[in-house]
Amino acid sequence: MAVASLPVDALHGLGVPTDLVQRLAARLGLPMAAPRDVGGRVAVLLGDAETALDPAHWARPFAAWIEVAPLNDDALAVQVARAGQADLYACLTTATASRVQLAGRVVHAVAQRYPLTETQRDDIELALHEAISNAVVHGNLQVEGMKGLSVDALDRFSHELAARMANPAYAGRRIEVSCWLKPEGELLVEVADEGSGFAPHACDHGTSDASGRGLHLIAAIAQQVELLDNGRRIRLRFVL
Amino acid sequence: MDYGIDVKEQEAVVRLHGRLTFNDHAKLRALIREMLQNKAKRQVLDLSALEFVDSAGIGMLLIAREEMANVDKQLVLRAATGQVKRVLTVAQLNKIVTIEE
Repeated sequence: MAVASLPVDALHGLGVPTDLVQRLAARLGLPMAAPRDVGGRVAVLLGDAETALDPAHWARPFAAWIEVAPLNDDALAVQVARAGQADLYACLTTATASRVQLAGRVVHAVAQRYPLTETQRDDIELALHEAISNAVVHGNLQVEGMKGLSVDALDRFSHELAARMANPAYAGRRIEVSCWLKPEGELLVEVADEGSGFAPHACDHGTSDASGRGLHLIAAIAQQVELLDNGRRIRLRFVL
Repeated sequence: MDYGIDVKEQEAVVRLHGRLTFNDHAKLRALIREMLQNKAKRQVLDLSALEFVDSAGIGMLLIAREEMANVDKQLVLRAATGQVKRVLTVAQLNKIVTIEE
């Protein structure tokens, strides 16, 4: 989609080697400043899940969150450029996105920039959480939903999810969230995963299973829902 | 999510705390087993201290309902507030499960 370029103003590292941040900042022509010294939008390179867990690391002026491992310099430069195309941007591994409850972090960041009522916050967090959960569980971890309503289905889901989350080949895949906030009161959010995609009609099986309600909840909350890139990307529009 | 169970003669009250999401699959398995094992006919989930529930959480509550029905027990959802109450409404769970204020 055509979006205005909104480059970030500075690069900051948390739990990553200083020389990595220096190298990348020099390459991208960005200052490497402590967040308090900059008024604009700071992209932060996160070293690990632990640094991502601290709520202070999600407050302004941070506007983009990029988990470093295991990306090389080229891939990180691409990430910072992508961060510059959205108002808010997060690109985390599946394991970290799940651990930090990414939807809540993003909604908090949105609320720091646009006043939201409590109901709006709850609703947007739920819709975003459902989109991110789908990207995590069905997209990147490629775990199927719970069929039927038995505890056996829950057992199967539970075991598969735990096994895939413990496997770096799946848990290391990325979840990308981009937000555009328009002053007239519109929030556009995209959530993308690195799974094999899906055909939405295959999931449209009503409500006789324990899984399969996420998209319905999203559709009940967001004003517009689009599935893109063969189901690997979902775009939600909220009128605020 | 965490929970505590108070079993009385007629009903067992399970108080849920925190957030109930797809990440709580293992805890829900354990909880359903405990609810199957105790003797009470009415299994009440007190949701007053639950802060957030997602679609997978709803799905797991429906599994609990089904497993209780299979052994002739009744599942009741009680005292949901805020976001949880809203999700139960949006998902129209009142058509499937007994919900008490």
